[in-house]
Amino acid sequence: MIEISQLAKKFKVENPKKLSEQEKKDPRLKGRFFHSVQNVNFSCDKGQVLGLLGPNGAGKTTTLRMLSTALQPDGGSIKINGVDVLQDPILARKSIGFLSGSTGLYGRLTGRENIAYFGKLHGMTDQQITQKIDELSAVLELDTFLERRSENFSTGMKQRISIARAVVHDPAVVILDEPTTGLDIMATQTVIEFIKTLKAQNTPVIFSTHHLDEVKELCDTVTVISEGTTKYNGDLASFESLAPGSLHQSFITSIS
Amino acid sequence: MWLVFTKEIKELLRDRKTLFFMVALPLLLFPLIFGSVAYFSGKVIKEAQEKTLNYALIGAQYAPEFAAKMAARDDLLLIETTVTRADEAGIKALVTEQTVDFVLVVPENFSNDIITAGQLTLSLYLNDAGLNNAQRRVYEVIDDIAIVNQADAFARLGVSEEIQVGLLDPILIEKISTADKREDLGEKIGGLVPYLVFILCLQGAMLPATDIGAGEKERGTLETLLISPIPRNQLVLGKFFTIAFAGVTSAMITVGSLFVWGVVMSQGMAIKLLTEFMGAISALDFVLMFLMLIPVVAIFSAVLLSLSIYAKSFKEAQGYMTPLVFVVIVPIIIAMLPGIKLEGIYAWIPLTNVALAIKELIKGTMDYVALVPIFLSTTFIAGVLIAFCTYWFKQEKVLFR
Repeated sequence: MIEISQLAKKFKVENPKKLSEQEKKDPRLKGRFFHSVQNVNFSCDKGQVLGLLGPNGAGKTTTLRMLSTALQPDGGSIKINGVDVLQDPILARKSIGFLSGSTGLYGRLTGRENIAYFGKLHGMTDQQITQKIDELSAVLELDTFLERRSENFSTGMKQRISIARAVVHDPAVVILDEPTTGLDIMATQTVIEFIKTLKAQNTPVIFSTHHLDEVKELCDTVTVISEGTTKYNGDLASFESLAPGSLHQSFITSIS
Repeated sequence: MWLVFTKEIKELLRDRKTLFFMVALPLLLFPLIFGSVAYFSGKVIKEAQEKTLNYALIGAQYAPEFAAKMAARDDLLLIETTVTRADEAGIKALVTEQTVDFVLVVPENFSNDIITAGQLTLSLYLNDAGLNNAQRRVYEVIDDIAIVNQADAFARLGVSEEIQVGLLDPILIEKISTADKREDLGEKIGGLVPYLVFILCLQGAMLPATDIGAGEKERGTLETLLISPIPRNQLVLGKFFTIAFAGVTSAMITVGSLFVWGVVMSQGMAIKLLTEFMGAISALDFVLMFLMLIPVVAIFSAVLLSLSIYAKSFKEAQGYMTPLVFVVIVPIIIAMLPGIKLEGIYAWIPLTNVALAIKELIKGTMDYVALVPIFLSTTFIAGVLIAFCTYWFKQEKVLFR
């Protein structure tokens, strides 16, 4: 289970003169600091899929980065299966599977080597890694390019290897930052099916997205963030009821 | 840490561009460049030495013996001219218009009798800017005549051969060097070794450093790596050792390649001298030189990794690293200057002190005790820089610029 409470993060503005007029008007800009995330709260239980929504610049990626321990919060708390991420980040990382917004791979390593490297970083044995890659290869359909160097992979191939890399160590929670962005229909479907598989395995999944059809298909709960604060928190049915018949309208209603 | 190191090395060895700069370039291209330069410069010098020079002789009638000796040489060809000694502009024009390679003007009072004529001056007009052998060839002819004339004058004056020698060279200095061959050659080329090795280490480490730091950001792999459950310092050390390994390997390949190709291309000319010189340097000195190099490479690697991880892209990283070469060159150049010794302030300037110590080790004049503070101070600086690199790697403002 993931519990996030009163999460906050601010960044120092190195050169305020370089800010655009629109950025200068953002209410989160206070003095020399930009309060990217000010008060974000949500939780995700086992077997749940939480959709994190919000306009561009709302603070979704910053929130997910704090959740993954890449960034350190300035306030609030994050607990993953009872482990305080701030108190013991190394232990917390062992239970997190994180896919960042960029589908970056080591181009001179094969797909298998990319996955195996992160398995080893998580302390897995060669045998465990081989077995897990075989499993993931079947679910994510990796077998045709698994042994090839990843430098010439398509975006879809990269994303599937990235997902396999993120979950190779059987994490207790999975965090995906816009996992279907830039993918074609087939690759998107593979990712959606994989999230369903995770859900079936009782793994809590948090993913940010701009695609509301994915939210409808996958999510149990929805959290909407705007200007760094939680605007909506609740189950999918309640979210849909904000503007029946249109999830787009529900989203707009939630942030207005 | 070793997991990160082995993965980085694997990637490094699969990168054709890095391999080209680390292995192929020093093994093939550098010897090819140096060999070509040596071949063509040798060819030019040889051609200049063998070329027949055209000359004009004004006043030949005053020195018929000299004129005959000049004409007898195979490498000189007399060109007749009507220009007179009074027409200096005309004489110069003969050279500038390349009618002849040089003009020699014999004075009217030329005589083989030194006692009556005294010292004589012949004017040699030539273009002295390029390679030419005119002066040497003229001296060879004049020396023959001068020696005969001197001997004749001394005989007529009744001066014995012993006194003749004394009159010609009243005081001689007999130089007896206490420096052996190793010290002598070490002083001459010893400063070049750290210069070459330092710069090559730095250059060899740059490309992998760019890839390992800024490359992670540009590829989008850094974030995933940062959330892996290994301490940040181990991550940094894994990357740091990869850069250091690349730097040392590149330098060793280059120096080894230059040495081997140098011996091959010299075709035995300098092998004996080189073998004697190398043989005089003990294994301990080689080990000490390598030990001194370790903290230097650590300094380079830590600085390069810090710059690379700060940069947002390859391009930005290369922009930061290029000026570093100039920063490194200055303290090494100081160590190469004549008269600079490993004492006083020079013993405390980072890199300069190591370069001077390596030079002393090559010369065989190193006070081994003095190596300890140099090694410790350089190691301390390297340690501080590695610590800074680790601190740098934990800064969000650096990682997520």
